Amino acid sequence: MLKIKEESKDGVKVIRLSGKVISGPDLMDLKSVFQTAVSNATGNVLLDLGHVAWMDSSGLGVLVSGHTSLAREGGRMAILNATKKIQELFIITKLITIFETFTDESEALSSLKE
Amino acid sequence: MLKGIVLKIPSDDTVVESVQTFVEKIGIASGVSEEDVTGLSISVMEVVKNAIEHGNGGDPRKLVTIYIDVYSGRIQFIVDDCGSWQPEVDLGHEPGEGDALISSRGRGVLIARNLARWLDYGLNPEGKTRATLIWPLS
Repeated sequence: MLKIKEESKDGVKVIRLSGKVISGPDLMDLKSVFQTAVSNATGNVLLDLGHVAWMDSSGLGVLVSGHTSLAREGGRMAILNATKKIQELFIITKLITIFETFTDESEALSSLKE
Repeated sequence: MLKGIVLKIPSDDTVVESVQTFVEKIGIASGVSEEDVTGLSISVMEVVKNAIEHGNGGDPRKLVTIYIDVYSGRIQFIVDDCGSWQPEVDLGHEPGEGDALISSRGRGVLIARNLARWLDYGLNPEGKTRATLIWPLS
C-alpha cells in the first residue's frame, strides 16, 4: 500500500511517500498529485522516498513523467532520502543521471529555492 | 516441493494484481522471506507485463502462460506469450540517453534482471517468446 502526504515548506511542495510504489490503483493517486502540482504551477517539488520499500517500472514511469511535466513548466523535482534499494533502481535504469537526489532535507529545500 | 503449477491468464492488466498475490503466496510457501517476497513478485510481474504488452499487444484473447516449479535452492518461472519479440531488439540493451532514457521502454527487464539475478529470453518449442526467470532460495 502507498501512502502520500503533501505539505508546503519554504515555497516548495514536499510529497512524502511510504510503502510500495508499484502498479495498481494507488499509483493513480500519485499521478494525480503530480498532475495537480503541474496544473497549479506549484513550481518545485521535493519527493521524499525515505519510507518507500519497493518500486517497479510503473512507479518509475510516474516519477519520470512527473519530472518531465514539471520541467516543461519550468519547475524542478528533487528526490530526498532514496533508500539503497531505490537508489540501485535509479542506477540500473540510468535515471540517476536525470534525477537530483539529496540525503539532507534542508539542503534539498535550499537547492530548490535557488 | 511445488511443481507443475501452470497459470494461463488473458492479456488484461486487471488480472495482474491477482497473479502478483499468487506469486507472493508461492514465494512465502517456498521459504522466501517477507522482506524479499515483494522483490520476487515485482520481478515476475515485470516479465508478465512485458509478455502482455510486447508479446500479445494487450489483446485479452491472447494468453500468457506461466509455469512455476520450485526446486531445491530455486524457484523457476517460465513465461510464454504469443509473440516473437526479443527484448534486446525491441526494447534495446541499455536504458539509452536523452529521450530514449525518458521513454519507459525496457525498464521492466532491467528491474527484473536486477532483482532476480537470472532472466533469460528465448523461444519456446512453438517459436514464441519465452522468458525464464530463476529466483534463488537461500
